[in-house]
Amino acid sequence: MIPIEYWLIVSSLLFAVGAYGVLTRRNAIVVLMCIEIMLNAANLNLVVFSSYHTVLHGWADPSGQAFALFSIAIAAAEVAVGLAIILSVYRRYKTIDVDKINVLRW
Amino acid sequence: MLEYAWLIPIFPFVAFLLIALLPKRTLFYEDGWGYAVGGAAGAFALSILVVWDVLMGDTLTGAEAPRTTWLIIGGYEVEFGIWIDQLTALMLVVVSIVGTLVVVYSAGYMHHEGDTRRRYYAEIMLFVSVMYGLVIADNYLQMFIFWELVGLCSYLLIGFWYERPSAASAAKRAFIVTRIGDIMFLAGIIILFKYVGTLDFAGLFEEGGTHAVPTDMMVLATALIFGGAIGKSAQFPLHEWLPDAMEGPTTVSALIHAATMVKAGVYLTARSYPLLVQTPESLLFVAAIGGTTALVAATCALAQNDIKRVLAYSTISQLGYMILGLGAGGYLVIHANSPGGYTAATFHLMNHAFFKALLFLCAGSVIHAVSTNDMRMMGGLRKHMKITSLTMLIGALAIAGVPPLSGFWSKDEVLAAVWHAGEFDSIFFVLWFMGIATAFLTAFYMFRMWFLTFAGEPRSDYHAHESPKTMTVPLIILAGLAVSSGFALFIGDGFKLFMEGSIEELVPGAAVESLGDIAVEIFTDPLTYVSLVMAFAGIFLAYRMYYVPGFDRSRFSSGVAGKLQRALENRWYISKFYDDFAVKVVYGLSLVCDAFDRYVIDGIVNGFAYLGGMTGGAIRKVQDGNVQRYTAVIVVGICLILIFVLYILPWGGW
Repeated sequence: MIPIEYWLIVSSLLFAVGAYGVLTRRNAIVVLMCIEIMLNAANLNLVVFSSYHTVLHGWADPSGQAFALFSIAIAAAEVAVGLAIILSVYRRYKTIDVDKINVLRW
Repeated sequence: MLEYAWLIPIFPFVAFLLIALLPKRTLFYEDGWGYAVGGAAGAFALSILVVWDVLMGDTLTGAEAPRTTWLIIGGYEVEFGIWIDQLTALMLVVVSIVGTLVVVYSAGYMHHEGDTRRRYYAEIMLFVSVMYGLVIADNYLQMFIFWELVGLCSYLLIGFWYERPSAASAAKRAFIVTRIGDIMFLAGIIILFKYVGTLDFAGLFEEGGTHAVPTDMMVLATALIFGGAIGKSAQFPLHEWLPDAMEGPTTVSALIHAATMVKAGVYLTARSYPLLVQTPESLLFVAAIGGTTALVAATCALAQNDIKRVLAYSTISQLGYMILGLGAGGYLVIHANSPGGYTAATFHLMNHAFFKALLFLCAGSVIHAVSTNDMRMMGGLRKHMKITSLTMLIGALAIAGVPPLSGFWSKDEVLAAVWHAGEFDSIFFVLWFMGIATAFLTAFYMFRMWFLTFAGEPRSDYHAHESPKTMTVPLIILAGLAVSSGFALFIGDGFKLFMEGSIEELVPGAAVESLGDIAVEIFTDPLTYVSLVMAFAGIFLAYRMYYVPGFDRSRFSSGVAGKLQRALENRWYISKFYDDFAVKVVYGLSLVCDAFDRYVIDGIVNGFAYLGGMTGGAIRKVQDGNVQRYTAVIVVGICLILIFVLYILPWGGW
């Protein structure tokens, strides 16, 4: 069995890659994609800890997997909403560059 | 009847409300004249009933008088009540008679004023109402409230023609200068309240009512209360507002600035007698102020060309007489157990109200006819205005002290009281000389005025005509009073015994003079003849200088006489002193205060606001609307928190 640390390192890398993308990319869709990567890093964690529970306690606890499924479903809805927002932003400003969308500032 | 005396101010007040609030169409004749006469006459009728009761020996003072609670502050109840004694009755007589006649007279005098008459009648009614309120007040606080209200009405009416800058500034001056006195009055009241805990006359005036007040504070309190009188009665050195107050309509001058409001100061002094006689120092101050005022104002009146200003200075001078009489009278109460000075001063108060109102209304009649105040533009008016010239002659004779007119009796009584007080403090002899000099000057300037106005040839192209009946009838009535009010000394029990009633606790068992004794005393006293000679000398000098043609007055325009003449024309430069020195000092002080307020007080307050603004301005740059920057802050923040929780805290021992 692959030790849990490996999984957690992959998960952390995924999260870091996502966070880096969120912070640096200017295209709003790419930013949204990066958020998905971060979300999936968290999902991976949930599944890993769920399976690791059996190793620790000798019996399976599926609640981590259930959370992961919930999370995926919610992520799907979130993507739909996020894309809709980006679409209407594009209609309004003819751009999806997040640096330019700053009308909510002081 | 007396317990209904509180209704007296209600009549004019209702008239004030009606005139102020009714639609113009329902004001009828002369824009509210009818209502004003109604209000004044109602108060007059009720006043006469009250005065009649007082004449019958009935008074209403202290506990038995109706009172109502106005305010409750902590444990102290501020009450309004009425205080009817002989002094109140005297003031009621003056205010009701002069007030009513002046309102009647206004119909003619204010006829050309158009729509502003409504404001005039409303303000006059308000004044009459609060003046009654002042007179019947039974505690110092109530008196002070009405005291301020008459000041307000005075301000409004002096500034009646407010579109004239001189009138507007005269109104302000009157208000501000009298305010100095009012502050002193208030300070005196506060001192009394601090020690005694009540402001009711009943509590303060009873035997030992002020034993809680230390002697020096008592002197201060009485002197300060008299300070209120200095302002209101235009005593030296706060007298300069009264001549300026002549900017108002002449009716206002007659009512407020001759017969009633300026008497409020004398009334206050007389009312405070039970306190004043406890402090001889204050009495001396009162007398000295009175004597100085009488003489200074009389000299100022010598060289005025404005007919109303002559009368204004004359008013100040006569008020000084009354104050002098009261100050001397206090010494007589203390040392001789005699109310002589008090009765003399109040007697002069009444007589002066009648003849000075008469003189002012005559002057108003003249001004109405020739449309100028300047006596140099008049002359020869006798032919055109028979009634006015005759009534004014009566007024001038009365004030000059020619027997048997009213001024003779009361002026003589005052001077006799001052002379008598000289036995106890020789300073009163000096004051008596000032008084007798004033008597001479009074006779002189009054007849100078009369000759300049009515005698000789016209000095300008005027079209004079006698005034309408609404004006001449009040003149005739007042002339009758100016002739006859002096005989009050001999009517019934006599004026002296009557007035003694209001201070009888102070002079227990004073010797009662019979009316015959009083008459004999007056006519056998050589002092009477001194003042008579002075009066006739003054009249003769005026006759020689201003009536007999060929007198060369230009000899007074050079040398020492010229300097004196110019000093008199400039009223001893007192007004100039205030303008050039006092005003500048106060203005400089104000500038300092302004700078302190602007830069220190406001500086601190504004500094805090500026600090907040600056901080906000610096911090708000962070909120630049860039989502990624927000995110970066969040990420870095979470990292810092994690480092803190995972490494710093365990390192610290948690």
